[in-house]
Amino acid sequence: MMTDAAKLSPMRTRRAPALASWDTAVGHALMIFVSLLCVFPIYWMIVTSLRPSNAIFSTNLWPDAASLDNYAYALQAVPMTRMLTNTFLVSLAVTLVQLLTGILAGYAFARWRFRGSAILFGAIALTWLVPLQVVMIPNYLLVARLGMIDTLGALILPHIASAFAIMLLAQSMRSFPTEVVEAARMDGATHWEILWQVIVPNLRGTIASLAILIFITTWNEYFWPLLLTRSTENSVVQIGLQMFISSEGTQWGPLMAASTMASLPILLIYLLLQRQVIASFMKSGLR
Amino acid sequence: MKTSLIALAFATSATMTSAQTIPESVTEPVTITFYNYNLASAGNGADATNKMIAEFEAANPNVTVKGVPVPPQDIATRLQADLVAGQPIDLVQMPFAALGFAAENLGAVALEDIVSEAELAGHFEGMVPNGLELGKLDGKTYGLAYTFSTPVLFYNADIFREVGLDPENPPATWEALKAAGDQIKATTDYLPLATGIYGPTALDWLMQGVIASNGGAVINADRTKMTFAEPEAIEAVEMLRSLAQAGITRNLGITAQMEGMAAGNTAMYLQTSAIQGYLVKGAEDNFELRAAAMPAFGDKPVKPSNSGSALSLHSTDPAKQRAAWELMKFLTSKRGYTIITSEIGYLPLRPEIVEDPEYLGEWVKDHPLLQPNLAQLKNLAPYVPLPGPNYLQIGISMMDAMEMATFGEDDDVKATLTEAQERTQRLMP
Repeated sequence: MMTDAAKLSPMRTRRAPALASWDTAVGHALMIFVSLLCVFPIYWMIVTSLRPSNAIFSTNLWPDAASLDNYAYALQAVPMTRMLTNTFLVSLAVTLVQLLTGILAGYAFARWRFRGSAILFGAIALTWLVPLQVVMIPNYLLVARLGMIDTLGALILPHIASAFAIMLLAQSMRSFPTEVVEAARMDGATHWEILWQVIVPNLRGTIASLAILIFITTWNEYFWPLLLTRSTENSVVQIGLQMFISSEGTQWGPLMAASTMASLPILLIYLLLQRQVIASFMKSGLR
Repeated sequence: MKTSLIALAFATSATMTSAQTIPESVTEPVTITFYNYNLASAGNGADATNKMIAEFEAANPNVTVKGVPVPPQDIATRLQADLVAGQPIDLVQMPFAALGFAAENLGAVALEDIVSEAELAGHFEGMVPNGLELGKLDGKTYGLAYTFSTPVLFYNADIFREVGLDPENPPATWEALKAAGDQIKATTDYLPLATGIYGPTALDWLMQGVIASNGGAVINADRTKMTFAEPEAIEAVEMLRSLAQAGITRNLGITAQMEGMAAGNTAMYLQTSAIQGYLVKGAEDNFELRAAAMPAFGDKPVKPSNSGSALSLHSTDPAKQRAAWELMKFLTSKRGYTIITSEIGYLPLRPEIVEDPEYLGEWVKDHPLLQPNLAQLKNLAPYVPLPGPNYLQIGISMMDAMEMATFGEDDDVKATLTEAQERTQRLMP
């Protein structure tokens, strides 16, 4: 005797393709809608950067007289190219140094059990809870005593190690298969070789995601460079953007032009590392 | 504690410098720093400042000026950090609100202590006396008035015409402004009035002018007692509350106010004349922008306050003091104010250059919006800086209470202001 479920099953099979395609269509429509919501502010930034100043508050989707005047003005009013170069150099240096210290410290915490390691790891984790503003003045005094005020080196120095990077990499290395590491040990590999030839190549996705996070965080930093720099030539792009905002009025057109220029390198880096980032998220999801 | 130590250190150095006179001229190469907030924004302010520095350096080859851009709201805290870090601070473009703090805690030097009386008198000749008063504390000049503007009632003449108001006769009193506001509100969707009285960057500069125009003050003359819960001040805030209750004005952030006016969606805007350039750009080919004097309370005289900055000298080295003083003189000279007014948009504190064809004569003819601002200079009630190291907390607490009294649900303005006055009095030095 057939159960109710068995009787229903052929019908369900017949309706399944229609339902599936309906689900797919709704899913795609929803994703397209959400994508448009995400992309619209970027579109509006670019459109506003092309508007003349007397049409800056227009709600037309495309300006009547689009021009690149705001870009020319932004490049002339602040040393934008210099600031972009400075920001890129600082972000790149901080990313590389933070990854290096994070990988070395992460490996030490993941592979070695030494006296006080748990306390040390806890102490590093606690520093993550201290806001930057709390240590800004002591850092400033230290940098002043080192004679590094108004230098790019001082923008990098307080960021050479990050609790977040150490914790994330230590966790990733702890979940790395010990069999693979032991096999390498039996083949005579040193810790240095295991780290750089076995573990790091297999953590490419995690490292790429972390690199993007560090790069973007450094790229967007404002308060530390604001306190530290004394000339626009040694300053970074976030200070440059702020220069178009004052209590006497925001220069929206040049600000949007400068913001567009400041967004491009980040977008480019994301596109280059996109595959690694998605792979990292996929792995995290499957784990 | 740190503030007290800095104050003590500078009190000692000020005593030492008061006995000496700076050299007659700069004979050796010297480099001075100039903390400047116009340099911290892109465009006219920075360009004009760099131009003045370049002209000064060309005329004074022994002096090199290193401009340090700092946003105005960060100047006092930045100076504190730099003093502790041992960074050289020679000349500062100091917002008026921070001038008292600069004199008492940041080592601002009184000009009378280092410059001879005859030289000072010679430079001050021709400057607006009310402007010079702004930089004086306890009878000494700790700040030389530099960039300067007064509150102006900007209005959209096209909206006035649309609702049947006469753009040739803008409201001269708050009563007339309320009537005009009612008319605009009844027939259109435009916001009748925006004001820059409240907001994080305003502190109390504009409110001081509103209350002074009703015969009151937020603080007494010798800066020892808060007075913003006295009847005249309460009446002024009650007037603002009546405008808010009638829907004539709303509590908007400064960006929303400025953009609403520049986009042609607001009929009137009471704000510093320093934003004129921004509004002119928005109005171009869109609507006719005009400006009138700040409204009066009935037939009482209008007492506009001022926004802007003074130049405060912080060097302790005599050679640098002379170099900084020479730069101060150039920046506030006829040539300096010609650049400041025509290229940045602030008021000239040397009125004689307004009609002089060698300076601003031709320029003023093409820029009529400056006139109401110039006319107000003679009635100016100089801004009184709030005292002590807690000046910001006092100002913020007071303005929060006034904002609540204007836009909040409680109709008892007197109770709100009295409670705040007692609270802020406890923060006084």
